[in-house]
Amino acid sequence: MKYRIILTILAAGCGLSGCHKFLDIQPQTSLTSETFFKTQGDFEQAVNATYNPLREIYNNQIFYTTEMHSDNAYYYRNPQFGATDGQENLADFAITVSNNVMTNGHVTQQYRDYYVIISRCNQVLSTIDAVDFDATVKNNLKGQALFMRAFSYFALERYFGSVPLHLTPVLTRQQAALPLSSPDSILLQVESDALAASKLLPNKAAQEPGRATSGAAKTLLADSYMEHHKWSDAEPVLKEVVSSNDYSLIPDYKNVFSGTTDNKNNAESVFEVQFLQGSDGLNGSLIYNMLPMPLSAAEIEPIVQVSNPQDLSGEGNNAPTPDLIAAYETGDKRKAATIGYVFSSGSANTNKTYPYCLKYAKPHAIWANTGNNVPAYRYAEVLLMLAEVLNEQGKGGEAIPYIDLVRTRAGLVGTAASSQTDLRAAILQERRVELAFECKRWFDLVRSNTFLTVITDYGNRIKADPEAYYYPPGAVPPNNAFSVVTARYPLPADEGSLSPYF
Amino acid sequence: MNVYYTFRGMKRALLLQFLLISGMSVWAQVSVTGKITDEKQVGLPGVTVAVKGTQIATTTNAEGLFNIQVPGKKSVLVISSIGYLSREMPIAENGVMNISLAPDSKGLGEIVIIGYGSQVRKAMTGAVQTISEKDVKDIPVSQITQKLQGRLAGVQINQTTGKPGQGMSVRIRGQLSVSAGSDPLYVIDGFPITGNISNLNPDEIENLSVLKDAASTSLYGSRAANGVVLITTRQAKRGQTTASLNVYGGVQHLPMHGRIKMMNAEEFAEFKKEYYEDAGQAVPVEFQNPASYRNKNNDWYDALIRKAPLSSYNLTLTSNTEKTSTSIVAGYLNQQGVVLNNAYSRYSLRMNNTVNISDKVRVGFNIAPQYIEDNTPLTDGDRGTGVLFNALHTWPVMPIRDSTGQLTLYNKFPASTNNIFNYPNWVRAAKEIVNKNKQTNLIGNAFISYTPIKGLNLRSTLNAEYNGRKFFFFSPSTATNFINVPVPTTARSYRIEGTGITWLNENLATYTRSFGDHNFELLGGYTNQKFHGEYTVISANTYTDDRLSTVQGAVNLDRNGTYSDVQEWALTSQLARLTYNYQGKYLATVAFRRDGSSRFGANKRYGSFPSASLGWVVSDENFFQKIAKSTKISFAKLRSSYGVIGNNNIGNYTPYALVNIGGSGLNSVFGNTIATGAAVTSLQNRVLSWETTKQFDFGVDLALFDDRIQFTYDYYVKHTSNLLYGVQVPQESGFSNYTDNIGEIKFWGHEFAVTSRNLQGRLKWTTTANISFNRNVVVSLADGIDRVYGGDGLHITQVGKPFGQFYGLVADGLYKNQSDLDKSPKIPGRSTVGSIKLLDKNGDGVITYGGDKDDRVITGSPFPKFTYGIVNNFQLGNWDLSITGSGSSGNSLLVRHLYSTANLDGVFNLVEEVKYRWRSEANPGKGFYGTTVGGGNVTGIERDWPNSRFIADASYFSIRNITLGYNVNVKSKVFKSARLYASVQQVYTFTKYWGGPNPETSAQGDGNGPGDNLDQGIDLSNYPVPRSYTLGVNINF
Repeated sequence: MKYRIILTILAAGCGLSGCHKFLDIQPQTSLTSETFFKTQGDFEQAVNATYNPLREIYNNQIFYTTEMHSDNAYYYRNPQFGATDGQENLADFAITVSNNVMTNGHVTQQYRDYYVIISRCNQVLSTIDAVDFDATVKNNLKGQALFMRAFSYFALERYFGSVPLHLTPVLTRQQAALPLSSPDSILLQVESDALAASKLLPNKAAQEPGRATSGAAKTLLADSYMEHHKWSDAEPVLKEVVSSNDYSLIPDYKNVFSGTTDNKNNAESVFEVQFLQGSDGLNGSLIYNMLPMPLSAAEIEPIVQVSNPQDLSGEGNNAPTPDLIAAYETGDKRKAATIGYVFSSGSANTNKTYPYCLKYAKPHAIWANTGNNVPAYRYAEVLLMLAEVLNEQGKGGEAIPYIDLVRTRAGLVGTAASSQTDLRAAILQERRVELAFECKRWFDLVRSNTFLTVITDYGNRIKADPEAYYYPPGAVPPNNAFSVVTARYPLPADEGSLSPYF
Repeated sequence: MNVYYTFRGMKRALLLQFLLISGMSVWAQVSVTGKITDEKQVGLPGVTVAVKGTQIATTTNAEGLFNIQVPGKKSVLVISSIGYLSREMPIAENGVMNISLAPDSKGLGEIVIIGYGSQVRKAMTGAVQTISEKDVKDIPVSQITQKLQGRLAGVQINQTTGKPGQGMSVRIRGQLSVSAGSDPLYVIDGFPITGNISNLNPDEIENLSVLKDAASTSLYGSRAANGVVLITTRQAKRGQTTASLNVYGGVQHLPMHGRIKMMNAEEFAEFKKEYYEDAGQAVPVEFQNPASYRNKNNDWYDALIRKAPLSSYNLTLTSNTEKTSTSIVAGYLNQQGVVLNNAYSRYSLRMNNTVNISDKVRVGFNIAPQYIEDNTPLTDGDRGTGVLFNALHTWPVMPIRDSTGQLTLYNKFPASTNNIFNYPNWVRAAKEIVNKNKQTNLIGNAFISYTPIKGLNLRSTLNAEYNGRKFFFFSPSTATNFINVPVPTTARSYRIEGTGITWLNENLATYTRSFGDHNFELLGGYTNQKFHGEYTVISANTYTDDRLSTVQGAVNLDRNGTYSDVQEWALTSQLARLTYNYQGKYLATVAFRRDGSSRFGANKRYGSFPSASLGWVVSDENFFQKIAKSTKISFAKLRSSYGVIGNNNIGNYTPYALVNIGGSGLNSVFGNTIATGAAVTSLQNRVLSWETTKQFDFGVDLALFDDRIQFTYDYYVKHTSNLLYGVQVPQESGFSNYTDNIGEIKFWGHEFAVTSRNLQGRLKWTTTANISFNRNVVVSLADGIDRVYGGDGLHITQVGKPFGQFYGLVADGLYKNQSDLDKSPKIPGRSTVGSIKLLDKNGDGVITYGGDKDDRVITGSPFPKFTYGIVNNFQLGNWDLSITGSGSSGNSLLVRHLYSTANLDGVFNLVEEVKYRWRSEANPGKGFYGTTVGGGNVTGIERDWPNSRFIADASYFSIRNITLGYNVNVKSKVFKSARLYASVQQVYTFTKYWGGPNPETSAQGDGNGPGDNLDQGIDLSNYPVPRSYTLGVNINF
């Protein structure tokens, strides 16, 4: 029965164990979660990736959602150009809210970017302890992951109040959504992470420039305490930063801001978002979003100084408001270092000369490809934070020298304020001009609970004189402008439609 | 002791139908001679005369005479010839046999290639349609799928773009999936290939079977859900040595009919003038006198279009002797495109060889190398990328050539004219940008077939497929395909080099046996298939000299555009099938395949795919014979099948949580130092599995009026479940979706096909026609998800509704006057008198796009109510004429290009119809396009809020081809026969579709393909399908 034997051989086929190997094909271009997170190098790379989404946030979005969402900046209205509602609605406080969620794309994207950071941090923090390697390196990596998580949750709390609190990696579809945690519990987590990070991280001198340091973690910790109005908790933390001598004010204010390749992570820098000019995709383009439009190549060339300047069309963002320009005292050196002027021959406005922000206008080689960093925390702010913390505790006298350090550098005399109320106003004003276009103003208005009156008055000024706020003749703000002035953004509708919790 | 796998499996099927019990043969050679004739006693050449149950066979000569040595006096001869009913005759005592064959008018004896074998048509129980090379010869197109348009019931073939060698979308029985692929599986000579058949030389094809129901496809298991197309390449006919040359040449052009009518320079200037006047603004000097542009029009679209030649040469050689059989097809095709600088050429060769080593052993070796070269400019795609779309909306007042006759670099009017974009010269983009693709493909098969005992055949095959692709893109500093880039610009290049290698080993055993009236065939086997593909992309930019496009000629290597990838998969399968019939009247088949696939989660690697089918030849019943005369029904068969099949087109590594390293999405920078980043970029799903389709089919085959009319009907219903779907998850998780098997779609449909021999006299006229009704409905989606939007939010897929419907607001004309505006729902802050009026569908008094108060509804369907095809063949003497048409009814297209070409904010050129827009209450136009006043705040609604106004009925009937042939009746020493023909392809399309020249179009935003399943039916003004006129000659030597 020869054929029976043959049939048996045929039928045996591939049912044997050898086939499992035949089918076991691992991807060669990517690793998988089972093959990664095994070595020190793996964790170094995983921590590097936690910083990555900051570039997207700080290249444009945060300027829309904070600076343009305050009385510091508006948009350069160009009525011929559509599809700009996303930015305009943030600047004129007309975002669409229904059922306690909102649809603004910039706010939504920022929400998502912070959670990408958090997810990457959680992956590191949940697996790093099980892998054995050099304790100093491990502490540094854990510290950075904790800092980045705290930094992200702090931002989320300030934007939205209550948000979901993810502290471990999501592994199943069901784990993807969590109930909302209260602002208090988010801030407590921020404080716990930032405190742990401040102990695990090396100081600035010992850390690779640009990475989170113990000083950055302490500044973040204090910021969170201040948000929490825990003034007395914040004071010693800030004093540690000041007394560490890791930081100093750069004598000339205009040298504070990073160049394309130079002056990065300088003596005044506590934490800044890092960009790299070139073709690696790590570049920024912020200045191109801070100019009036249209601008001809010749008009933009002195600002960007690239070899192949091109025309810019569309609608520009981040226009310094007349209010901000007026906020500088006479003789304040910071004004000239912050506000520049450019002529737009194609503008439909009567006054074709516009102000723009100078802080990020650095010469660079490639069109729309910049390398200058964007500050998140710098030492001048630490001094003003400390002043605020002291003043809120009734120690105004102790606060004044810190304010004056900042004022002196700006070429001004010491502050005239002395009462707690006057000092509070003076610190708010000082922060406004010192930290203009550093995405602080909106949160200052909320923390000081002045946002409603300040923004309402500001809106009334715009409606009364649109041309002063860069509207062409005849153009006016939309009729729902300044109708939604709230301390927090509603949560993103796109997320709410996927989460059972909001 | 017999081998029957001698002739493409043909004899096996014949055996099945006619098997008689034959006793042990006596091994004594007997010589038999005779003549085979047709019903009029005319000798038939090329008829196969074989000894039943052996490998021994011969063919008749030109006079129909044969001579064969048979192994014993009890041998039985099987006489078969295509187009005639086969006969079996015991050998005559005197060794002389004169046999006449009856024509097979029903095609019931026709051998149909099915999965892993063949069957005679009469005994089939599945839904299979076949096309033979003869049916589609002389149609001068480069792709076989173009020839098939309109010929297959239940198969919708659309030509979505006119790019040579590209753009065919084939959907069998409306099969769709949310995110897995929907193309059918193509099997060439038993080898399931990895891609599609767009590059296959149609002249290499002998016949093609489309397997539609689950019973027919289930032996392809986890790859069968989209249907299977089996292709058999040319084999030599036994005893014949032939040589033939087929040459055609012609020209293609783009008719004006159907082209999108844009404003000319004067009309555009007039529009601009009115735009400013209507807004109460000063008219820029450039547009103050539109008449100055009279006769100075720049038709940018027309400048990209040309007449283009087309030619094809095919040489076919076949030889078949007792021991060996060889066929060779050598082909060359050169098709220029109707867009500048577009060319496609293909050099192909196929050699199929078989050798009978002994009565029991046979080996075969096929090899088909191919070289293809094409240059295809970036014609298709969204606003700003595809040059055809760009050309449409470029201002016609902008010069294509400067005063010296040189092509301009780019055009820009002063900002005061509201020219916000630079318009590069698209003629330069087509001419100067290199998009060169070179492919080297090879398919090879080798098999050994062994017949150890009578009825049993063992066959082992080894197949290999190699695809090598080199692509070179170079955009010099003088050209770009992107809008708003000033020229000169940065020169860019990228190179892709990739190879894919697939191998497949199949081991099959087939056992055929009859007991009395019970006929069995048992098939069993196992197969292993593996794919390995890799490719590398190198991108560079900033060239110092456009003439040096090498990598080292670039200043920058683009790190993000430079990468490599490796893709692999493996599939191991066991299969079995039992085919049974009783008297050829009661038919049954059960089949089973088990697949193990590397693509699925470790816990879901194996799947089983069973099927069963039944058939009943009613007309063979005695009771039927009595009514056959009165009913005029000469043949009737009922068949039904049910089976489970799968779709594994889900990507190779989807179950894994991938960790990616490097790239701009992960890397960070500290100071000026890059730090490589790594992160988990997808969620894992260890239980991910294939999509499963359960399909039921019921069919009727009828022949009427002495077989003059043949009719086939099929009804099917199928449920596709475990849909592979990236379920959106809240991004608080750090991820956007979780790939899961979820949801269910139900498909059902009716297919009718008819062949009618209308006239059979001196003038012969045959009509074949088909019509198909395909429907689908989404039965369920993921828990908690009631809808899935298409990629651009223009489509919606909802439970209880058909898949992928157009979604948008409903247009209701314009606000005629202030009182109309006052009393109608509006868009706060945006609606004005003369602007587009939309319906407040949810009745909240406000018109809202998106969000919780959305007024959007389903506005149309990209799926036809029915599709149909009709082919008429006429023959008179030496003349023949064939006319092929196909159509589709009830489907819509979204005329998406209008968001640019009817953009009322005046930054682009516009369709001519915008002349009749609303300008004032006294001058309200045709009520279609609204006012231009108010800027983007007003006109942006028309542009950005998709609405029913841009949904257009895309029903059409297209005369695909008319071919007139003449058979030269001259006896020549040089050739045996010759045929001359003239053919027109894409003759005319009858349609009310107003959105563009091609109602079959469907476009992906990036121009690279026909759109995802969720986003069908978008008209982005793709490469139009040209008309071609050709003359051809076919010579047999």
